Amino acid sequence: MNNFSQQQQKIRSAASRLLADGTVRFVIGWAPTRFAERTTVLFAHTEAEAQALVWNAHCTAALGKYLLDHRLADYAVGIVARGCESRMINRLLTDHQIWRERVYILGAPCPGMDAERCAGCRERAPVVWDELLWDADGMPETGGRQDAAPTNLDEATIADVGAGLALPAVGAACSRPLDTDTSLRSRFFRAEAVEGLSAAEKFSYWDEVYAKCIRCYACRQACPVCSCRACYVDMDRQGFQGKQHSAADNRVFGVTRAFHVADRCVECGECERVCPMGLPILGQTQKLIKEIEALTGEAYVQGMDAEEENFLGAFDLDDKDDFL
Amino acid sequence: MMYLLKENFDKAREALAGAYAVVVPDEVLPPKDALFPRSETLYETDRRTGEARAAGAGGKTLLFGVRPCDARAIGNLDAAFLESGYVDANYAQRRENATIVALACAQIPSPACFCDSMGGSPHEAPEADVVLTEAADGSGYALDFQSEKGSAVAEIWKAADLIGPMPAHLEKAPAPTCTLKVNKVPDLAQKLTAAFEDGLWERLAEACLGCGCCTYVCPTCYCFDIGLENRGGTADTFRCWDSCMFPGYTQMAGGHNPRWSKTQRLRNRYLHKLAYFDERYGRTLCVGCGRCICRCPQGLDITRAVEWGERL
Repeated sequence: MNNFSQQQQKIRSAASRLLADGTVRFVIGWAPTRFAERTTVLFAHTEAEAQALVWNAHCTAALGKYLLDHRLADYAVGIVARGCESRMINRLLTDHQIWRERVYILGAPCPGMDAERCAGCRERAPVVWDELLWDADGMPETGGRQDAAPTNLDEATIADVGAGLALPAVGAACSRPLDTDTSLRSRFFRAEAVEGLSAAEKFSYWDEVYAKCIRCYACRQACPVCSCRACYVDMDRQGFQGKQHSAADNRVFGVTRAFHVADRCVECGECERVCPMGLPILGQTQKLIKEIEALTGEAYVQGMDAEEENFLGAFDLDDKDDFL
Repeated sequence: MMYLLKENFDKAREALAGAYAVVVPDEVLPPKDALFPRSETLYETDRRTGEARAAGAGGKTLLFGVRPCDARAIGNLDAAFLESGYVDANYAQRRENATIVALACAQIPSPACFCDSMGGSPHEAPEADVVLTEAADGSGYALDFQSEKGSAVAEIWKAADLIGPMPAHLEKAPAPTCTLKVNKVPDLAQKLTAAFEDGLWERLAEACLGCGCCTYVCPTCYCFDIGLENRGGTADTFRCWDSCMFPGYTQMAGGHNPRWSKTQRLRNRYLHKLAYFDERYGRTLCVGCGRCICRCPQGLDITRAVEWGERL
């Protein structure tokens, strides 16, 4: 049993207050779309717009990456943050991408949303916040992702307050069908699905995956770790990688992407959720974290605070370098 | 009117495999890939002799089961690649070699479909060579052979004894209507271009991630880039899809980028779909297939820009 509607009211009130007293320029949250089972992201700039914010199982998009669009801002930004968003924020803080005082975090403990990325999530409560909107107590300890609860379609008619447009709702979703198993999965569920394969099987598995990749870079755009101002794949004339599409070239991109985020990944799973081709790329980053844990024998969970060191990024004169 | 029984549908597709490379469109990507591939080699240059050789654009293909909106989109690609004053050789060759068998929508495939708001119809595909339309009783398909290429398909099906005259008591099922209704004002192109500086563009773009998904799943996006690949013995000049949603798309050699912001890029994409193409070719580029709406990871919706026209 969840308390979406009461919690939604808390989000709306808090956002209205922050906008009214000028604490923030806007609050980033979710709004309904024409489709009952989809939400979009809304930047609520006014108190009226704050009343269009929603909180339901279809709030699948993670919001943290939007902070990068405002990294040079001289104003504060409000954001609704669940476990995943809060870890994204810590990631951006650790990487010196944003200023903590310019982000006002409305902590929103999450029951797990209707997205496969939520299936293995262990950190549903925010780890950093300015205001915790409701208590994380009483939330299911386990339970996987939420099964789809229908959005109230009446609310969808006010979806576009931000744009001054009223949209009539048209009903069912047009998203990709999700795995019907909504139970809590292993933290590394995608990686484990591939680990048992032989080397040749793995090769053909990834070949098949990357033959489908269309190089839209949604995985990169959604990733809070991908904060480089210039990405190597955009430097297509510099010889790192061309723009041609082939399974081989796509694989180079995929593997490079995974390794670039390896030790900084906050396991939000957005890379996989946003993929229009439905490619199971979360397995790659999961595997890298799993390897780090196997190598050190310690738990490795990123984004839990803003001071942590990265496994690969840390430098130590006493490093044995015995693998060289 | 000729008629194909539903039970012969798969056989009809298989019967064409001898004469054509049959392509059945993917559920996510539009069929444009068969005419304007994601990536294709234009020519190969021998690195020792400097001799260049055109790579060619393949043989006869048949696109089987194309949706009417996608067939209409191919008409728009034709305008850009064949009718704009310059004929694109590779596209022309693929297009000449391609036969389009459209499957009229018996049901509306997706809640995001809005082709009938954009001047199309779930049942009409004048750009196709053959159109299959389900009969009212669901027993089979009425066949419209709309071109010489279509007649060639008819001959193959007749030879295989797969089609016959449509029984007199049968008729085509009525066309379904899209659930998503979008009010497109007649002068949308002029209104949106006049609103170029409006602050709403920024609001529309706020939630955009800046990926290229919408452009790559779009049946009418036809921007490309050209590059070189060192293949050892040869240097291959390739062409691949490009996306106006990427900052590099308008990056100048000197470093200046006229579309430096996400808002500018989104505005350009929407205006190309809803205004610029219209101004140049007299028809709206967006065909209302709804793919960009369904696939946008953040729930952006181009119909918001269409409906904005009502208020301008």
